[in-house]
Amino acid sequence: MTQDLVVFKGTQDGVYIYIREGSFDSIKEELDIKLRKSGAFFKGGKIVDFKGKRLSSNELEELKDIVKDKHHLKIVERKKVKEKDFFTGIKEGMTKFVKTTLRSGQSIEYKGNVVIFGDVNPGSIVISGGNIVVLGSLRGVAHAGCSGNKNAIVAAFSLQPSQLRIADLIARRPDEDIEEPKWPEIARIEGNEVIIERYLPKK
Amino acid sequence: MGKVIVITSGKGGVGKTTTVANIGTGLAMLGNKVVVADADIGLRNLDVVMGLENRIVYDIVDVVEKVCRLKQGLIRDKRYEGLYLLPAAQTKDKSAVNPEQMLELCNELKEEFDYVLIDSPAGIELGFQNAIAGADESIVVTTPEISAVRDADRVIGLLEAKGLNSPKLIINRIRPDMVKKGDMMNIEDMIDILAIDLLGVVPDDEAIVVATNRGEPVVVNESALAGKAYNNISRRIIGEEVELLNFKQEEGKFSKIMKILFSK
Repeated sequence: MTQDLVVFKGTQDGVYIYIREGSFDSIKEELDIKLRKSGAFFKGGKIVDFKGKRLSSNELEELKDIVKDKHHLKIVERKKVKEKDFFTGIKEGMTKFVKTTLRSGQSIEYKGNVVIFGDVNPGSIVISGGNIVVLGSLRGVAHAGCSGNKNAIVAAFSLQPSQLRIADLIARRPDEDIEEPKWPEIARIEGNEVIIERYLPKK
Repeated sequence: MGKVIVITSGKGGVGKTTTVANIGTGLAMLGNKVVVADADIGLRNLDVVMGLENRIVYDIVDVVEKVCRLKQGLIRDKRYEGLYLLPAAQTKDKSAVNPEQMLELCNELKEEFDYVLIDSPAGIELGFQNAIAGADESIVVTTPEISAVRDADRVIGLLEAKGLNSPKLIINRIRPDMVKKGDMMNIEDMIDILAIDLLGVVPDDEAIVVATNRGEPVVVNESALAGKAYNNISRRIIGEEVELLNFKQEEGKFSKIMKILFSK
């Protein structure tokens, strides 16, 4: 017997439907069969969301149709939690400490601040709701204040990201060769631009 | 309606990405509207070779999953108007897209562009299947090594099985001096085994290493022999009759260079 492609999981918010990797047709079929078998059990309950396998918007619609129209179950759209997630703890707040170097293809995503003890190599990405501090070289992509906080900063011992995003602003590394910074630097938003300055004011 | 051409090889490291970057640029230099798409999800390189890494916001997976519109995923080249890059995702793997999605994407792209070049990953697994899913034509890149030729042969078989008949061959990194001494396979030997049309021969050239590290395709450098080879290949693709950089001609040029070097 192969692994189930469709699994129901009850949580406080309601029932989540987990979809595993597999062909979309067999997923549809299995969802249909499972709902038919135990649809009565879910009557009155709320289906909250689909999780697991990435679905395209078309596929999601098709699955929702099966749940809603064919089996008459309610789908309660999850409220856009993203907006509520606006992270304010920039001066004092949740922080994740990462004790490793991020290599190409690796990524860190966290709602709060992120501190990395290591380098952030090209091809890797750090996404944080708050500040990003790299105790090493930042050569990949950093996105601070991803939930919209424009006061977030990015700091690194050697700040040379291929791309720097703060809130909804995107700055990229110039195409010309630039000199390697010799001291730690901080990037922040001023006006409508991302500016980079020395971490320690001149002594 | 444009054409979708997949560039593949089976073996890794023979120069698929370099070839895509150079032919893409070459076709754009000839006035075509071109998009180069990186299908090597998880090990993307094409953006780096083209010097566009710092511009990536969305990638092919975002486009396929409709997180963004196709236009948002395309990055305009900094040198040539009409040349665009669709980068691969780096933090995901090959299973992030499937062949049906790639087919749909290719069909959408060729509505707008004259040429859609797909940079295939090495290997013959899902990544390769994705890369060839929407292709109308194919180019196989090989180097003069038995292992590369063996893999090219395998790939040609797979392409033909998928209905991509008459793939074209590019022989990369040939060293005329070594061929002359009999230390390297020659072009005739390779064509004898693979039995497909030769699209071009690209000599092993230091200029490629320099250009690649600078994020600037060598085809823009007219004085480099490899640049000229890629230019000729691009012109052959648009249907011009260009004589192959004949082996003997190359030899002539090489020996000229050698003479200059050793006359000091």
